[in-house]
Amino acid sequence: MSHPQDLSLHEQAAAIARGDLDPTELISTTLLRIVERDGPINSTPVVFEKESMAMLHDAPRGALYGVPITVKDMFALPWRAARNGSERDLISATASGPFRRLRDAGAVVVGIANQHELGMGTTGAISAYGPMGNPWNPATCAGGSSGGSAAAVSARLVAGSLASDSAGSTRLPASYCGVVGLKLTYGSVPYDGYFGASTTFSAPGVIARDARDARLLAEALLDRPLASSSGAPLRVGVVRTPFWDDVDPEIAVACESALRDAEWNVVELQIEHLELVGAAVLGRLIAEASPPSADVMATLSRPTRAMLLASMLASNIARVGRLRVAITSADGGLASAMSRPSTAAPTSSRCSICSSTTFHSASRSADSQATAISGSTSSQKGVRTTPTRSGAPLEDARGRSNNASARSRASRASRAITPGALKVVDAPK
Amino acid sequence: MGDFENWANATFRQSHIAVDDDDLAFVQLIYVSTMTRLGVLDRLNLDDFPSRAIDLRRAPDLT
Repeated sequence: MSHPQDLSLHEQAAAIARGDLDPTELISTTLLRIVERDGPINSTPVVFEKESMAMLHDAPRGALYGVPITVKDMFALPWRAARNGSERDLISATASGPFRRLRDAGAVVVGIANQHELGMGTTGAISAYGPMGNPWNPATCAGGSSGGSAAAVSARLVAGSLASDSAGSTRLPASYCGVVGLKLTYGSVPYDGYFGASTTFSAPGVIARDARDARLLAEALLDRPLASSSGAPLRVGVVRTPFWDDVDPEIAVACESALRDAEWNVVELQIEHLELVGAAVLGRLIAEASPPSADVMATLSRPTRAMLLASMLASNIARVGRLRVAITSADGGLASAMSRPSTAAPTSSRCSICSSTTFHSASRSADSQATAISGSTSSQKGVRTTPTRSGAPLEDARGRSNNASARSRASRASRAITPGALKVVDAPK
Repeated sequence: MGDFENWANATFRQSHIAVDDDDLAFVQLIYVSTMTRLGVLDRLNLDDFPSRAIDLRRAPDLT
């Protein structure tokens, strides 16, 4: 064996369990490898020598006992705040839900995985720690936002990393770096201590070298075994239009080959209204992106700041309102709970910039009448609803970007409504 | 200053967020691009997409 990090995650775990690999030595050699090799890819800007040894000392003999991993900067650790690729602490140091699951499985956190600032980008090129490079060619990007996780696994600095995913932030960098990325089902992993980019999209993900390792990490995070199957009778739908329209021939051949080798029952599909999907996702991301406080905003890079500011403006329009999820209840639900003085934009019959007739036309007060909210997450039991800025004045959005504030808003909402039905409503124009 | 700049400045001022001209130019670029992409939603007839009630009591228990 040349280096223990040349072993896969499950091989490391098995070797430790058999007594063939000393976990202390594994942690030490992993930390050394990160220091020696991470320079050009900048995947793991912070390492934890003391804390990782302490974790190992206390680690239970779980499925990941003694195995070193990295954790995306979006998750708070007991000894370090979540910074989300920014300069500032955004969630105070605490044992985040995903961290607890990995810790309880015996995993050891050896470092922070770099990420695109606030998760608002898919290149990994912008981060307070500096850009991430792709191990296959450090001059190219690692992808994002979980670029540090994918690059570290691809470079064999660690065999697994905790990532997250709102709209591709685990899957995209994994693809860029030639490793496996799996976004876990929203709501399947405790959400506390986690700074996701979107309240109803963001979910933890895992990055590993192969599917078996991804499964091992996923099972630890889910705290349950996943069903086992050969996949032999699996029927797989392939939607070529528009996704394959501009695919590189090399990639198309590789995908066709993989589908053929898997011996799945492949069904060619066409999906109606796909043109709406991108807009729908964008609309939800805009509606749910919460600008941080003004002092944090001032420390962000200009592109990230501009995206957040643009989302503040865009979330105020009827198009986004049309996608909102509204809560209805006998007493009018959130309409009364969240109705506050309007900060409506000045009305205009037609936007001079984009010629939209809906520009500026959705006032706050009108929004409120639609009983509109556009998020739905919290660790509240029973009712899980989080009104976003859509139902509150913009000045209330300041400083409400972390999960503590989301929980606070959800708590307010859950007190204000009777659990009822969710339905999509059309916001007034 | 145009409508967009006035509106954006007023909104950001209310949120106590200071922006400079470069910020505004960047914001405008992203905003216009976003509006263009969202334009497809103007063709959306919600009658074609009947909603389905979700019972909140069936939400996953995360504790």
